Amino acid sequence: MLYDKIIAIYPELANFDFAKGVITLQNDGNGDYIAKWEHPTLAKPTDEELA
Amino acid sequence: MSSVVISGDTSGAITLSAPAVSGTNTATLPAATGTVMVSGNMPAFSAYQTANQSVSNASYTKITFTTEEFDTANCFASSRFTPTVAGYYQLNGQVQWLNACVGRFLVHIHKNGTYYKRGTDINATNFGGVVSTIAYANGTTDYFEVYVYQQSGGSLSTDNSYDQTVTWFNGILVRTA
Repeated sequence: MLYDKIIAIYPELANFDFAKGVITLQNDGNGDYIAKWEHPTLAKPTDEELA
Repeated sequence: MSSVVISGDTSGAITLSAPAVSGTNTATLPAATGTVMVSGNMPAFSAYQTANQSVSNASYTKITFTTEEFDTANCFASSRFTPTVAGYYQLNGQVQWLNACVGRFLVHIHKNGTYYKRGTDINATNFGGVVSTIAYANGTTDYFEVYVYQQSGGSLSTDNSYDQTVTWFNGILVRTA
């Protein structure tokens, strides 16, 4: 699950509200992906980190 | 009355039929210009889910509606409503869980792939929620879908146990542009 992979990389996001739209995970029918990542301090995980 | 003008640039015929009863019937046209709404040009659809769908934790997920109850203008396909008449549409959706969602749950209507209107937003044990809105569509490219978000800590499955009653999406044109 994408969420679990992100939390494994950034444990500090465990209590983050992913519904607010700063970080948006989305599934349009072909699996979860990062639709938006605008966290002020944490960099968007790379595909390699999420693999 | 100055005149009545009926014009057209294609072949065919326009028929104005009188009611098959005696008496006087009056249809008053408004002092406005627009497309006359008749049953044949008012898209309406209703679809529901017939297979459980897994929704990941914390991921906005498009809900799939696999069976149509009706789709008067063939505007619904791939769980997406793309109306072919410009105007204002009443849209409604409901998503229900097979088992309780313990945590945050949202239901959205997306327009053209992005958030448009939010319905249920609850952070407690729940079995589902609804969304309803009136939205403008340009009649060509604008489209609408239902998305949900749940943050229960793990994946959840939608419920289709009662066919058209629990997880569904419908809409209708309420007035033309």
